[in-house]
Amino acid sequence: MKNLYIISLLALLFTFTSCEEVIDLDLEESEPRLVIDASMLWYLGTPGNNQQIKLSETIGFYEEGVEPVTDAEVIINTGNGEEFIFAHQENGIYLNSNFIPEFDKNYTLEINYNDQLYTATSSFVPVAGIDYIEQNNEGGFTREDLEVEVFFTDPAGQDNFYLFSFSNISTSKFTLEIYEDEFTDGNQVSTNYSNEDLAAENEIHITMEGISEAFYNYLYILRSQGGNSGGGPFQSPPATVKGNIVNQTNPENYPFGYFRLSEVDSTTYIVQ
Amino acid sequence: MGINAQETYTLKGTITNASSNETLIGVNVIIPEEQKGVVTNEYGFYSIKLPEGTYTLEISYLGFQTISETITISEDTTFNTEMTEGSESLDEVVIKSNNEGINIKSPEMSVNKLSINTIQKLPVVFGEVDIVKSLLLLPGVSNAGEGASGFNVRGGAVDQNLILLDEATIFNSSHLFGFFSVFNPDAVKDLKLYKGGIPAKYGGRVSSVLDIYQRDGNSKEFKAQGGIGVISSRLLAEGPIVKDKGSFLVAGRSSYAHLFLKLADNPNSAYFYDLNTKLTYKLNDENKLLFSGYFGRDVFDINQNFLNTYGNSVFNLRWNHVVSDDIFTNLSLIYSDYYYGLTLNFVGFNWDSGIKNLNIKYDFNHYLNDTFQLEYGLHSTYHEFNPGEIAPIDENSGINFFKLTNKYALENAAYFSVEHNISDKLTAEYGLRFSNFLRLGQESLNEYENDNPIIYNEALDIYEEAQPVDQNSYSRSEVIKTYSNLEPRLALAYNFSENQSFKASYNRMAQYLHLISNTNSPTPLDVWAPSGPFIKPQILDQYALGYFRNINDGKYSLETEVFYKDIQNRIDYVNGANLIANDNIETIILNGRSRAYGLELLAKKNEGRFTGWVAYTLSRSEQQTPGRTAVESGINNGKWYATNYDKTHDISLTASYDYNKKWDFSANFAFQTGLPVTYPMGQYDFNGINVPVYGDRNSNRLPAYHRLDLSATYIPKPNKKQGFQSSWNFGIYNVYNRKNANSISFRENDDTGRNESAKLSLFGIIPSITYNFNF
Repeated sequence: MKNLYIISLLALLFTFTSCEEVIDLDLEESEPRLVIDASMLWYLGTPGNNQQIKLSETIGFYEEGVEPVTDAEVIINTGNGEEFIFAHQENGIYLNSNFIPEFDKNYTLEINYNDQLYTATSSFVPVAGIDYIEQNNEGGFTREDLEVEVFFTDPAGQDNFYLFSFSNISTSKFTLEIYEDEFTDGNQVSTNYSNEDLAAENEIHITMEGISEAFYNYLYILRSQGGNSGGGPFQSPPATVKGNIVNQTNPENYPFGYFRLSEVDSTTYIVQ
Repeated sequence: MGINAQETYTLKGTITNASSNETLIGVNVIIPEEQKGVVTNEYGFYSIKLPEGTYTLEISYLGFQTISETITISEDTTFNTEMTEGSESLDEVVIKSNNEGINIKSPEMSVNKLSINTIQKLPVVFGEVDIVKSLLLLPGVSNAGEGASGFNVRGGAVDQNLILLDEATIFNSSHLFGFFSVFNPDAVKDLKLYKGGIPAKYGGRVSSVLDIYQRDGNSKEFKAQGGIGVISSRLLAEGPIVKDKGSFLVAGRSSYAHLFLKLADNPNSAYFYDLNTKLTYKLNDENKLLFSGYFGRDVFDINQNFLNTYGNSVFNLRWNHVVSDDIFTNLSLIYSDYYYGLTLNFVGFNWDSGIKNLNIKYDFNHYLNDTFQLEYGLHSTYHEFNPGEIAPIDENSGINFFKLTNKYALENAAYFSVEHNISDKLTAEYGLRFSNFLRLGQESLNEYENDNPIIYNEALDIYEEAQPVDQNSYSRSEVIKTYSNLEPRLALAYNFSENQSFKASYNRMAQYLHLISNTNSPTPLDVWAPSGPFIKPQILDQYALGYFRNINDGKYSLETEVFYKDIQNRIDYVNGANLIANDNIETIILNGRSRAYGLELLAKKNEGRFTGWVAYTLSRSEQQTPGRTAVESGINNGKWYATNYDKTHDISLTASYDYNKKWDFSANFAFQTGLPVTYPMGQYDFNGINVPVYGDRNSNRLPAYHRLDLSATYIPKPNKKQGFQSSWNFGIYNVYNRKNANSISFRENDDTGRNESAKLSLFGIIPSITYNFNF
């Protein structure tokens, strides 16, 4: 997780002699592809009946907004007769309110769109849960920013992967952090959220989600490709990031996105 | 030629600089009567066989006054001589055949040479004289953009250059991530870059050899020199330990702290320093001891939160021994290491990694007769790799101690090389190197099912790490994998007239070490990995053809070459490979190949007030990693793609003008095709992350790169030859302030949320001033 941080830091060193300007650059546009954002989130202490799936198509790099897919058939089944149908609501969002989340069970996503069948199978990943939250007023890289530290206890003796999201309700800023316990197995550790805009009274909505190693790796690549990885000489080579969903009808026309199921802990913190 | 059955004797000797006793490398020693010649070796030694008689000995060297001496040979003779620098020649005697004209007869080709004098006059960024940056002005040498570490030779990667400083390997040639090279120009005597036709005495890297020799130090009198520049200051002291026998040289260079990080009042600093030392002691005419040392470090300290130190250290003890009149030997004992350390306070860990090696070399120069000159020797290197160790910074840190497994290897080589004068017109240099690499035992070596550490997931079309099925520990005396290679080398020169020749060369080389890096430019964090059970050695085959011509007695020269090279087993990284602190590199790499081909042209004007050259390279450098089976997609769908440093056109023009004794002017202009990049072709949103959709790897290009640099050197008192002398160098880098694209990043604007393209340019117009002195 911190690797990206180090790399972008090296890139930062370059910026002191350099100059950056936004330019007009014509880009070719690729054929649209289906994008599937299917995250089944089971919040601790809730029945987890309400779930949603977002479908869209890729758009030109400079275009704004989304190109929603509204006419797909979306079903999740469990192989033993259970079937959850997701109905289109609006803007490519498909909802189901009878979903039954369970551990140790395989869920299969089936999407039928433009006469092509897209499928993926996955199961729920549990989460350790947030222990407590602390605030550090000399945090961040410069030690001058406010910092929110989320403490949790990693279960020992197993490989665990987490996704944290920090949603600043007051500023509408959204940040994701991924975490693996390779170097911290079994310890009580923290992950930090800080940025220079963070101010007292800000309301931060925090989630901690248990994720699989495959989804961790997927997010790792996705983030390195994402817009704010810094660019410059230290960026990793651009790559096509494929998720776990396969187009059964025409594998060449693969979709983007992921189908995953996570147990989630969440809390809200008001910055002091 | 000796038709009669005359006795043949050996004339040998060492040629030195009259002012310092410094040995001179590459001096031409010519016997016009016999139409014979020899060139001094790396230690200033020469040996030649002559029949009994009286001869004129013509000794010439660039920048020195030619010596013409009559010598009578009636027994084996030692003739040591001193040469006097002849820099004031311009208005006075014009020294003949003393220009940088090319050697038409020698089979040596694909070699770039620059004298330290030339390098010191070239305009450079921030006025910092830089050996590597100067080499970029010659054909076949480029880099992956301003501020990229290292250099690329004939489309080869940065880790494929063998960089030798006094015969010791340097693993990272860059300071400040590539802004400057690690070689202090004041301490350098001579350098040579082999791009092809690489002689059998070199091995272990496939693309090039940069062979740098440090100065020995003045054994006649104490001297000092130094300079004060915008970025760094230098100081060198040298002098006799025992007059005319022993000398020392110490050179230090340091940049100023707080270099680029003038951030408010933050206690940040970024600086580098290096120290060169040399001790030379001549026991007698037959024996000489040389000790060299280099120590360099870069330090970055950001707020005590991020502390980063890295650099090379090298120690070398050599013994030059003249075994007989026609056999010169050198025994070297070399230690070299590269260290990388990182402390991250905000994460709470210390990171250490590095590579160490111990090297013993025994090399022979055997001046057999008129027709054959031999070189042979034995090399052996013991490598120790520390891929990384993570330790908690204190007891509050949530980090557990973690050590990546150390790796060990032994690399051996035996070689012979023959310089063969087949006829007056045809000369050849051929040789064979036998290299052998033993990967030695280590702890916890993973084993995988079917020996396959990386699994292709056909359904998702992605590569995944295999889980080890077993782990074995081996003692360090065990050999877990052996590779051996025969590396033939061949170079031919056919001089069909006195001033023109065709040359051809072929060389095969093996490289057993791999730099593990998948960023666009190497970072100091990159680790070296040895070949072993899962990583195969890189094997190169290179072919080159050339036409060489001296015009007007070497006043002008022209060199044209075409080359083709093919490298097997070039590793490539699967998408999203995480290299940092990865103990199982084999699970994220695939074996591919690379190739490069091109045309190089170098036209020079070597004499007169106005000198300079035009260098042009037209080339292509590509890489391919197909799937291992028909179903696998490989990397970039198994298609060839341009390497990150591929430049179709690369042109440089360099000109120097000697206006008068006080003023010298230089200019260079560079034009290069933009580097390959991958542009996004679309975007989507996933879980709040805006993700660009990319096309084929490196299928787009940055805008073309060009810039003009100027410099002027001013010597206030050019006639002063004793005591304190000084000079000023004024430079302007990128005169017309071209905003060359170093990279283009594609990102979401934080404020508007819209995607945009942003061009990063590193150096705009940069004026500089440097003050140099010596006494």
